[in-house]
Amino acid sequence: MTPVNIVLGVIGFDCHSVGNKILEAFFTEAGFKVTNLGVMVSQEEFISAAIETDARAILVSSLYGHGEIDCAGLREKCIEKGLEEILLYVGGNLVVGKTAFAEVEEKFLKMGYDRVFGPDCSLEKVVELLNEDLDSRPKGND
Amino acid sequence: MIEEDRKICVDIGSTWTKAAMFNLSHDRFSVETRAVMATTTDHLPEGVYGVLHHLMPGHDWHSLESTPVPVHFASSAKGGLNVAVVGLVPEMTLQIARLAAFSAGARICAAYPYRLTRSCIAAIEQARPDILLLCGGTDGGNERYVTENARAIAGSAFCGTVVYAGNNQAVDHVSDLLSERDLRVTENLMPDFGRLNIEPVRETIRQVFLERIISGKGLDELVRRFKTQPVPTPLAVLNLVEAIGNHVAGWDNFAMIDMGGATTDFYSFCEAYYPDSGTILKGIVEPTLKRTVEGDLGMRVSAASAFETARELLLANLEGSEQSLEIMSAYIDRLAANTSHLPADLAEQQFDQLLASACVYHSLMRHAGTIEEVYTAKGPVWAQSGKDLRRVNRIIGTGGFLAAMGRAGDALEMPVAPAVKSDKIPLLPKDFEYFSDSDYVLPLLGCLAAKYPQQSAATAVSYLTSLHHNEEQVKEFSHREFTHA
Ligand code: B12
Repeated sequence: MTPVNIVLGVIGFDCHSVGNKILEAFFTEAGFKVTNLGVMVSQEEFISAAIETDARAILVSSLYGHGEIDCAGLREKCIEKGLEEILLYVGGNLVVGKTAFAEVEEKFLKMGYDRVFGPDCSLEKVVELLNEDLDSRPKGND
Repeated sequence: MIEEDRKICVDIGSTWTKAAMFNLSHDRFSVETRAVMATTTDHLPEGVYGVLHHLMPGHDWHSLESTPVPVHFASSAKGGLNVAVVGLVPEMTLQIARLAAFSAGARICAAYPYRLTRSCIAAIEQARPDILLLCGGTDGGNERYVTENARAIAGSAFCGTVVYAGNNQAVDHVSDLLSERDLRVTENLMPDFGRLNIEPVRETIRQVFLERIISGKGLDELVRRFKTQPVPTPLAVLNLVEAIGNHVAGWDNFAMIDMGGATTDFYSFCEAYYPDSGTILKGIVEPTLKRTVEGDLGMRVSAASAFETARELLLANLEGSEQSLEIMSAYIDRLAANTSHLPADLAEQQFDQLLASACVYHSLMRHAGTIEEVYTAKGPVWAQSGKDLRRVNRIIGTGGFLAAMGRAGDALEMPVAPAVKSDKIPLLPKDFEYFSDSDYVLPLLGCLAAKYPQQSAATAVSYLTSLHHNEEQVKEFSHREFTHA
């Protein structure tokens, strides 16, 4: 079976790179073909990479507190570029300060992200959910 | 007995066949003799024998079975191969495909991202490119677009060569769809996202280029007789630029402009992006050696299109002079009617210079990347796209017109750019010294660049004339040799 392509990166002008490296290693280990765009990634780059690699999911990180501004509009841009079926996950320290996670989650779900994670999520659990979501979602592109 | 320290180089252009005998002593060549003749278009070897006879009269070149001096030759093959590029994302595979085609010595007549629509196919059928370069998708990535585009090409009337350099997983599908075509499959030009792999495509296009040059017009005769493969002229020049950049001290940040009647070719040799400069990069890191070709910018065949492109720039530069855009427009019409026209008076000479500086300006602007300030949550940040030419500190001018200008002692004039309202700042050379190939030896030396990179590079630099930015001087009108040295 050919591995599922996923795109990974830290959005905006965020340069926290440690978590990004961990995610790359973890998802590669879990059998995905990871295209890691690294830190300071724009929405356009996420989308270009997803198109060229035929990715089925984009995993967005935001650590520095400006996640809300940086992440808004990605779903709409994906739809505009023909990536209607792509899964969007987001995680990290998504907002500044101590906001209840449920509130943060709701905000990002509203923006069109399929799943939202905090900094202390279990990555095994994330992989499990991702596989489930991929199974239940038609392959958009071919 | 072959004399190994002498080399003959012949450049078969669309109008002129030029040749020179070079002598190798120590670390460089020197020009011994030169010759030029009108190209004999229906049987190219005729003109070649003609120039060879000039260089070495003692031999009967028509019947010679082996050559007394090694002969290297380059041919521009009707001004270059036309390539249509079809990629996926514009800033990614499509841009890489452009760079690859240019670096193989080709001209690009059309470029399409994503899906080939019926109107794209119609445009390709009409443009009749020699090659269609099809790519898109990383290896194991997107297959849908390349297969759909292959199907569209299969259903079209386009019958040239298709070079496939896309997703390797789609190769079988694409090959089946294009089984009726002359299809060349090569490695993906972007195997992983953001990673460039230009060399295999470049080599494949070069191969097709050679086949086209050699077939017909009798060049196979020269290949047999001189036991050497021709080099496409633009590739010879590119090889020389690379050799200079790699081998000559102080020449690791330079550019070269080759301006002809039909096109303006721009070459640069410098790092494309400096990560230390506090700037982030959008899109790909462009290659150190880059070539672009502008088919609408030229001094004669393309004078009308260059005039159109440069209208605003010309207007700004004509301000305050007694000439006007209307008078210049009439001159451009005369050029269109007679593409071998030479300037007949001071005014026409001034128009030629203006046109040349406009070609320089626009080809430079298109070759260079840009930088723009983007406002982020963390304050303003610079974002670069394309190639940074700010450190280019030397520019060489070659091609008939710039060589002739060099002989007259004229430096390259950068035109006064009209103020444009744009947030994008072009990454142009800040301060450069201008060198003219006033002896017009670079294309000929280019024939030797692949085999003798060090020596040909040293030679090229030693033949350049350094011209400093103008001190205002009254110029006498001189009737310049325009087309050849
Ligand atoms: C090291 C560090 C830095 C280093 C980064 C060095 C580097 N190259 O990475 C430096 C000093 C440069 C730095 C700078 C800043 N930092 Co800082 N930094 C940290 C620190 C101490 C550790 C980050 C880290 O590496 N964690 C370890 C990794 C493994 O964890 P992680 O990044 O969270 O990633 C994991 C999870 O979040 C999750 N995850 C992440 N993304 C995603 C995505 C998905 C889809 C999923 C499922 C999971 C997931 O999985 C990852 C792996 O386990 C944190 C505090 C902390 N303890 O977290 C602050 C912290 C992130 N920084 C912070 C801030 C404010 C900044 C600055 C803005 C400070 C400033 N005023 O200049 C700048 C921002 C610069 C910029 N443009 O990005 C704040 C963010 C506040 C907020 N979000 O509310 C934090 C939380 C500190 C704090 N408590 O205030 N920082």
